[in-house]
Amino acid sequence: MKELKPNARVAALLVLWGSLSAAAPSVRAAETGESLSFAREIQPILARKCYACHGPDEGDRQADLRLDEREAAVEYGAIVPEDSENSSMIERIFSDDPDLRMPPPHAHDQLTEEEKQKLRQWIDAGAKYEAHWAFTPPIRPELPKVENSDWPRNGIDHFVLARLEKAGLSPAAEADRYTLIRRLSLDLTGLPPSPEEVDQFINDQSPDAYENVVDRLLASPRYGEKWARLWLDLARYADTNGYEKDRAREIWPYRDWVIRAINDDMPFDQFTTEQLAGDLLPDPTIDQLVATGFHRNTMLNEEGGIDPLEYRYYAMVDRVATTGTVWMGMTIGCAQCHSHKYDPISHTDYFRFMALLNNADEPDQILPDETVTKKRAELQARIEKLQQGLTEQYQASISPSDNETVEEVYHERFTAWLNDQQQKAIDWTVVEPTAMQTNLPRLEVLEDGSLFSTGDITKRDLFELTFDLSSFNEPITGLRLEVLPDDRLPARGPGRAFYEGRKGDFFLSEVTAKQNDEQQTFNAGSASYGKISIGSGTAEAANVFDNNGSTGWSTSGREGESHQLLLTFTEPVSPDAPLNLEMLFERHFAASLGRFRISFTTDRKPLEAKPYNAETEALLASSIDDLTEADRERVERLFLLQTPELEKMRKQIEQLRNQMPDYPTTMVLRERPEDNPRETHRHHRGEFLNPEEEVSAGIPLLFPQIETSEPSRLALANWLTSEQNPLLSRVVVNRQWQTLFGYGLVRTPSDFGTQSEPPTHPELLDWLAVEFRERGWSRKQLHRLIVTSATYRQTSDVPAEQYQRDPDNRLLARGPRFRISAETIRDTMLHASGLLSDKMFGPGVYPPQPESVVALAYGNEKWPTSTGEDRYRRSLYTFIKRTAPFAAFTTFDGPTGETCTVQRDRSNTPLQALTLLNDEMYLEMARAMASDVTGSVSSPPDVIQEMFRRLVTRPATEAEMQTILAYYERQQAHLKYDPAAVKAVTGKDDSDSTAAAWILTARLLMNLDEAITKF
Amino acid sequence: MNPDLQNQLLHAQTRRHFFRDCGVGVGKIALASMLANGGVPLAQASSSDTPAPPHFSPRAKRVIYLFMAGAPSQLELFDYKPKLKELEGKPIPPSVIAGQRYAFIQPDAAVLGPQFEFAKRGQSGIEISDQLPHLSRVVDELTFVRSCHTDLFNHSPAQLFMNTGNGVPGRPSMGAWLSYGLGNEANDLPTFVVLKSGGSLSGGSGMWSAGFLPSKHQGVPFRGEGDPILHISNPAGIDRNIQRDTLDTLERLNSLQAERTGDPEIDTRISAYEMAFRMQSRAPELMDFSQETAATLQSYGAKPGNGKAAFANNCLLARRLAERGVRFIQVYHSGWDHHSNVAGGIKGQTRQTDQACAALIEDLKQRGLLEDTLVVWGGEFGRTPMVEASAALGRSQGRDHHPQAFTMWFAGGGMKPGLAYGQTDELGFHVVEKPVHVHDVQATILHCLGIDHERLVYKHQGLNFKLTGVEEHHPVTDLLA
Repeated sequence: MKELKPNARVAALLVLWGSLSAAAPSVRAAETGESLSFAREIQPILARKCYACHGPDEGDRQADLRLDEREAAVEYGAIVPEDSENSSMIERIFSDDPDLRMPPPHAHDQLTEEEKQKLRQWIDAGAKYEAHWAFTPPIRPELPKVENSDWPRNGIDHFVLARLEKAGLSPAAEADRYTLIRRLSLDLTGLPPSPEEVDQFINDQSPDAYENVVDRLLASPRYGEKWARLWLDLARYADTNGYEKDRAREIWPYRDWVIRAINDDMPFDQFTTEQLAGDLLPDPTIDQLVATGFHRNTMLNEEGGIDPLEYRYYAMVDRVATTGTVWMGMTIGCAQCHSHKYDPISHTDYFRFMALLNNADEPDQILPDETVTKKRAELQARIEKLQQGLTEQYQASISPSDNETVEEVYHERFTAWLNDQQQKAIDWTVVEPTAMQTNLPRLEVLEDGSLFSTGDITKRDLFELTFDLSSFNEPITGLRLEVLPDDRLPARGPGRAFYEGRKGDFFLSEVTAKQNDEQQTFNAGSASYGKISIGSGTAEAANVFDNNGSTGWSTSGREGESHQLLLTFTEPVSPDAPLNLEMLFERHFAASLGRFRISFTTDRKPLEAKPYNAETEALLASSIDDLTEADRERVERLFLLQTPELEKMRKQIEQLRNQMPDYPTTMVLRERPEDNPRETHRHHRGEFLNPEEEVSAGIPLLFPQIETSEPSRLALANWLTSEQNPLLSRVVVNRQWQTLFGYGLVRTPSDFGTQSEPPTHPELLDWLAVEFRERGWSRKQLHRLIVTSATYRQTSDVPAEQYQRDPDNRLLARGPRFRISAETIRDTMLHASGLLSDKMFGPGVYPPQPESVVALAYGNEKWPTSTGEDRYRRSLYTFIKRTAPFAAFTTFDGPTGETCTVQRDRSNTPLQALTLLNDEMYLEMARAMASDVTGSVSSPPDVIQEMFRRLVTRPATEAEMQTILAYYERQQAHLKYDPAAVKAVTGKDDSDSTAAAWILTARLLMNLDEAITKF
Repeated sequence: MNPDLQNQLLHAQTRRHFFRDCGVGVGKIALASMLANGGVPLAQASSSDTPAPPHFSPRAKRVIYLFMAGAPSQLELFDYKPKLKELEGKPIPPSVIAGQRYAFIQPDAAVLGPQFEFAKRGQSGIEISDQLPHLSRVVDELTFVRSCHTDLFNHSPAQLFMNTGNGVPGRPSMGAWLSYGLGNEANDLPTFVVLKSGGSLSGGSGMWSAGFLPSKHQGVPFRGEGDPILHISNPAGIDRNIQRDTLDTLERLNSLQAERTGDPEIDTRISAYEMAFRMQSRAPELMDFSQETAATLQSYGAKPGNGKAAFANNCLLARRLAERGVRFIQVYHSGWDHHSNVAGGIKGQTRQTDQACAALIEDLKQRGLLEDTLVVWGGEFGRTPMVEASAALGRSQGRDHHPQAFTMWFAGGGMKPGLAYGQTDELGFHVVEKPVHVHDVQATILHCLGIDHERLVYKHQGLNFKLTGVEEHHPVTDLLA
């Protein structure tokens, strides 16, 4: 389809929207079985079995028929309302002739008899279309009447109970207090309650004892840690870049931002805006910039030889799909290759949506850090002190002859040195180009005459600069290229390399000068420093004029510093005509310069690069008498530091400089400058190599459009959180429900489109969606609302028949019961063993795991196992390496951070058993728990009860106690005469079989089904 | 029924009812019955741990995939191009190279002639390099495809593409698809096992990921020696008796809980622990190479515990896993990325791999396993007919990445032996006859296992995903016996 003007498309869709009053009533109609609901019963059939060829995708549309819009289907004659006999659709679907029958016999998707009848019935009833329920804004439904009016504690319960009563069922009893506090603690903080917390609750006779626990947990810093982990699943957070090299990246400040935002109960609309467009807010704070890390969590391919723009495109594809999934519950990603088969999202819509997100650069943001500032100031003060003592030190080394004073000798030597330097100093003139052209990056001139490069870079960048030299009176003998650091560049520059090589590196292959189309050759080059990264090549200055693109100059290893390259013309160049300079950067990775400056000279002295920067050379080139006091001091220091007498001092200063800690950085988005926006094109079949026409940014035309002339990420964020987006509050509420109950009210949490499963409780979903919005998008209030419902407080101890009748608890006739997540399992065990550290934030940590896990990853990296407190941090602080994720987490269905994960699997496998039984990490926790518990109580039943309660919350029953006690005694007896085994189990030389038996008992209890289950 | 829901329901039902109703290790869910009510396109395959009948009669029951990571040079091994010798030192005509992208070289680089002699081998007279003396012996058992081509020209994406059908990590791998589609035949071992030797693997763990399939289908990395599976051994000091006692006590305690609550997941947990115990008992026997004759060890060049023989050891272990019913054995060997000195590189790698590859074929055949074991050999792409040389990188006489054409070989599992299929142009640059895309390779492998690649699909985030992507691809039936 051609890109329609939004209004035209909306008008077209009004046909579909025309018969709509509100979505909810239609669902209600279906609920009561009054007539066939289009949304619930007809559209899923059409979407599944017809739309692929007769739906929104104009590319694959057959016979020019579309069935997703009533007007089109009626006009075509496929549907004749109230007259199925004359509807060609009915004729075709019932046809026996394989040439006529629809869907065609070769299609995998055939209609069942029942579906055919439904379609006929629906047409005879008038063929009413309705908008898909999820595409219409939620409206607060009335609370349904219930018979058992004592049961509901809040609105949620009315909807749940009404549904149960209709099915002739009643809710389960309220769970006991042990279960309640365990459920609440695991759900709100991701940790089980301690026995003390349990006792306090059990003994709390006040009427609001339950609510008090809820409020305590919501206020706990552990709350943010628990819920942040779920958000990080969506954000595909990881601490490495992914793909081959999978090197570490610094983006943990984003993770910390998420934890803080959730602990502060940042309203979800603000939470959205800051992550999608924090940089576009007025005067953004550092935190708002950090928040934009959400979309920097895409993978970065660092393999040598890749096309960086290709992998940037794949990252964009991920960003589009993830944004659609997270904030719209829409499978927008499906329209990457062609228009969506089922939902009204065109191929162009997809790229219009991409354009909204596509106009950002992706820099590292340097972050303030008090510790670093303090340390740097400390070091600077020490350096300063040393420097102030230089003169004195030097003078002390002078032993003057009789007729001289120390001062005289000093002055003499200094003057001699200065004269020499002044002789050698070259009078350079910085010249700004009059014209600049490149293959892709954008160059701008900064105040100091240097050039700064932004925009995208490639493996072969060419800068073409034109200089007007008419201000010179004599022929030009050479040029100077200064490469300069800048905080905005990777690793502070001077280059823009951001993958494969060193960050901030560059590789200058060739410099070519031309005047009047004639090449002006160089015959000498000199560089202040040169080294290339990767490979064995040299970094001689002369490499840039050897006509070989594979050799060049680079200052690798000295990122964040300025250096210079001087080139001497074979024949001095006339100043009378403009000079064109071509700088070619060609390597197997993108590595052009980020900031540099060009100067020319007419000086006839040999052009030698100096070990100091351009400013100092300019000072030296001027007369000493003209220097200010400060400049003079600078020059003197330069003199002093190169004297052999002060070599020790120089080294000391150098050492101190090397100790300067770097500020932490994090990965952010930065909107591109207005004069250099990135174009977005539609790509044929979604392929990077097939860009077609340029598209303008916008929301899929299915929805009301953004009302601004220049849609940006900020406009997108505002739109997503506005009432124009009918999906956001439903999608978010549904995910919270899924976390608490194990399944969402919509069981397809990443797809609310026409192919989704209708909600089990549509009105409850809408009611909660409206509540969430009206309560100021407060997650804490939403969680409080849900966990204080009678629905949530039901027991999950119900007979097997009830589990069989409703295995996925669709009707909510019982409380949730399912295995806790990978991270929560480890956190629970750490908590129960007394090892858990409550230290928050900071870079990822490395709990113990077998070496063979990371040995499988590229580069045979080591896993630098943490010691001390970091070994026992909460699991969300564990360093996430995408190609070698922490084994104990993957075994329990933890994500790898490669794609947005809306719903984790909850598998139950032998490898999980092996992990909990045999992983050294868990044995360490069993040892700690045994030692901790036996340190506080002594009688075996007390020890068992304490361990049991730490892990399972409730006390052990008598039968359980006897079983465990007997186990303990058997192990003790078994190990009594096996000191080697005792030593191995306890890890200690001076231990006994009792200690070992307690460790085995702790290990036993850690493997209980209940210990890793929320019930 | 909604397919996402269907995925979940099937998963839940089969998982829950399987252990309780049928006991461990039994329980059949026919693939056909997964085609829910009247021709849903999704072959929502078995989530149980037992085999499910395939779409049609399979030729192979299992796969041993020898993945040569880094991309071996077809021009030095299987695709002889004397014309390159003739043109050595001259650039390739612009008409051939127009529009091609390369990782390291400029497209006008000069031609490099084949570094080794080739000769016709066996009854079939298939021409292969003199660097493969052992493989030459079994050439009549092999099916060569010289017309493979791929979409990607960098290692990590191309390896992922070959293993998962997609260049970006996150999709299910071939082994996971097969585990999902066919279930587990090996009672006490994982369905999908990963072995590795040589250098680093560019594609990483994404290559044996379950992607969006249930995570139990992911490949289980085995170490070539010692404990094959993570945590398969008890911690020190905990002997078999303690472990048995622990499991028995756990079962008692968990059963007490199961009496209070009707959640069938508890029974599944009990069964999973039992299965774990059996895996523990089985693993030492699996790894015990002393059961092999000296002649067998010698034929592979296997040396237990010797890292230099890691590939040979893995080939032998692969056969032992095949014997025990493991469905998909992925053997990775890295070290074929010869950007410089391709001749020396090929010599080194063939020394490490040639003997064991040939021995594996002969051993499988002798044991009657070759007929239902499909052996696959190949890298992620080919190497350029042009030379790679770079002063900055210190490279000379190498070859860059070449996605346009490369060679793979197959053996057993119903493939036509002694066949050389497809052809490249006289420069070995482009495929000129019978092109076989990576997705065709994958479709062919699935076909050999009785699976229609079009019907092995999984609904995820609104799309029906399959291993072979959205474009039209076919199993190469010409390759089948």
